[in-house]
Amino acid sequence: MTQDWRRSPLAADYTVDELMVVTLADYFQNDDQACNGMASFIPAAAFMLARMTHAPGLVWIASSVGLDPRPERIPASTLEAPLWKDSIMYLDQYTGFWDLVLDGRWITKFCVGAAQIDQFGNANNSVIGADYHSPKVRLPGTAGLADMCSIGKDLYYWVPDHSRRSLVEKVDYISGAGFLEGGTARDQLGLGGGPQVVISNLAVMDFHPQSKRMRLKSVHPGVTPGQVQTATGFELIMATDAPPETRPPTCEQVRLLREVIDPASMRKHGIR
Amino acid sequence: MQEKLTTVQEAISLVDDGNVVALQSMATQAAPMALVRELIRQQKRELGLVVLVGGMAVDWLAATGVINRLIGAAVSMEQFGLCQQYRQSVEQGLIRVEELSESLLNARLGAGARSLPFLPSRGAIGSDLIAQNPENLVMLDDPFGGSPVVACRALVPDVTLIHAHRADRFGNIQYQPTAMWPDISIMPKAARKLIVSTEKIVDSEVLREHPEKTILPGFIVDAVVEIPFGAHPTSFFPNYGYDSRFHLEWAAASRDTVAAGKLIDRYVLQPEDQTQYLKAVGGDDTINRIRDWEESR
Repeated sequence: MTQDWRRSPLAADYTVDELMVVTLADYFQNDDQACNGMASFIPAAAFMLARMTHAPGLVWIASSVGLDPRPERIPASTLEAPLWKDSIMYLDQYTGFWDLVLDGRWITKFCVGAAQIDQFGNANNSVIGADYHSPKVRLPGTAGLADMCSIGKDLYYWVPDHSRRSLVEKVDYISGAGFLEGGTARDQLGLGGGPQVVISNLAVMDFHPQSKRMRLKSVHPGVTPGQVQTATGFELIMATDAPPETRPPTCEQVRLLREVIDPASMRKHGIR
Repeated sequence: MQEKLTTVQEAISLVDDGNVVALQSMATQAAPMALVRELIRQQKRELGLVVLVGGMAVDWLAATGVINRLIGAAVSMEQFGLCQQYRQSVEQGLIRVEELSESLLNARLGAGARSLPFLPSRGAIGSDLIAQNPENLVMLDDPFGGSPVVACRALVPDVTLIHAHRADRFGNIQYQPTAMWPDISIMPKAARKLIVSTEKIVDSEVLREHPEKTILPGFIVDAVVEIPFGAHPTSFFPNYGYDSRFHLEWAAASRDTVAAGKLIDRYVLQPEDQTQYLKAVGGDDTINRIRDWEESR
C-alpha cells in the first residue's frame, strides 16, 4: 500500500481507461467484497487500485475463484490462474462461490459489462435481433449476470464504447434485470439492489430516483453534454445545463495503474 | 471393485446419437478436449450439450455438426473472442440455445442429481430467460410466505464428460485440492453415465495416501481413460496453462468454414491417438510452453 496517494496532485497526463478505473474504484470500500468474471479488466484494475489506496480491506474474489489474491499484474485473462495467484482460499463455483453470493449478506456490489444497456439499466449479453432462435448476432450469454441482477446486488456498469449501439433505448433481450420498465417495476418483483451508476468512456450516469431513467451525472474532462447525448441511443435526463466534470485521477493513481497493476494495458481492452 | 479403465474409443461409444451431454468447461479452462475430439471422430449426431461456460469445444462440436442444441450460461473464448462456428450455427437456426444463468443451471443439475422434480432459485427473476423457457423455468409462490422463486426443472444429462488429475483403474477420481472450480461438483452426479479422462492412472494405494483429494467414487463412473494433456488446448490448473498460439490459430481460422474444417482435419481427424495429437500441436515445444504457464501471465 502506498502512503502518498492522498496527497498526490491531480494528473494532467492520463487516459480515459485510467479515468474509468479510478471512478469505479471509488465505489468499493474497506468493508466490501468484490468479484469479477471474464474479460473484466476495468473492474479488476479498480479492485487492485482500491486495495492499494483507499480500501486496503476490500476483499476481492478474483475470477470468482481466488480469495484475496496477489497477482503480479493483470494478465491476459481475468478468469485464468495468474489472476488468482497467492490466494488464501479457492472457491468452487457450485457451492463455494454461489452459496456466498446468493446469501444476501455478502458481495453486495457487482460490476456489469454488457453489449447493450438501456435507459433503465437493463443489460443484454444474449442476442441482437428480434428472433431469439435465429438472432442477428449471438452474443456470449448471460453467465452469472442474470443472477447478480436479481439477487439484491448494487450494480455498477462499465461501458468502454459509449455509443448508440451500446446504450440503447430498449435492449433486444433482458439478460440482466435493471429497473425493467422503470418506476416501481423492479420493486414490484421484490428485487432489491439494482443499477447505481454507469461509467462510460465519455461520462458517468446514474438513475433518476422516481422514473429510474438514466441521467447524466458528470462528463469526463474535454467532453460536452451534447457529445454524450449524441452518442446515446435515448434521451438522457439532464439534471442541470452544466453537469460537473468527472474528477481526474491523481498522479499516484496513474503511476500505480501503469507501473504496478496493469503494465500490459489490459484495461484498454474495448475502449473506443 | 469393478474395473472401469478403458480406451477413449470404448468410453465415447457409451454416448448415443441424440444424447444430452454435459461437459466440464470454462472459457479457456479444464475441458476434456480429448473426449470431445473422440465425439467428433465417432461422428456423433444431434447431441445436446450442457455447459456452464463453453469455449473451443463448443466451437469444434458446432463446426462438425455434432450438436444441435445447447443448454448453458455462456459460450466464449474470452480474450480469443466469440466462438464463431457456434455463433454462425445459432444465427442460422442450426443450434437451439436454452440460455440459463449460472444459478439456474446449478439448480437444474442439482435437482437432477437428487431425484427432485425441481429446485428453486432467486436468480434471473425479471430477466427474459424465464419467459423464454416455460418448459423448464416456472415462477412459483413461496409456500412459506416469502417472495416468489423460480422453479428450475431437473436436468438429467445422459452423459457427463470431465477431465481429472488422477484416478485408479476402478474409477475413483482425484482432483487437486486447488481450484475445484469447473463443473465437477454437480455435473458428474446429475448424469446417467459418467466418463472421465485423467492425466494419470495410478495404483489405488496412491489414492489412499490422500483420500481428501478423492472427489468422485468409482461406482458412479462408467469409464476412465488415461489421457495426458487431455485438456489441451484449454488450461488444467495447476498442471498446464492454456495454449495461446493454438487458440489464436483457431480464432483466426474459425470465421471461415473451410479454414476451420482444415484445422479440424489436422488436429481432430488425422491424429489417431493422443501421442499423435500432441505431435501435431507442436510436441515437446508446446508441452514445455504450456507447462510453464508462459503465455498466461
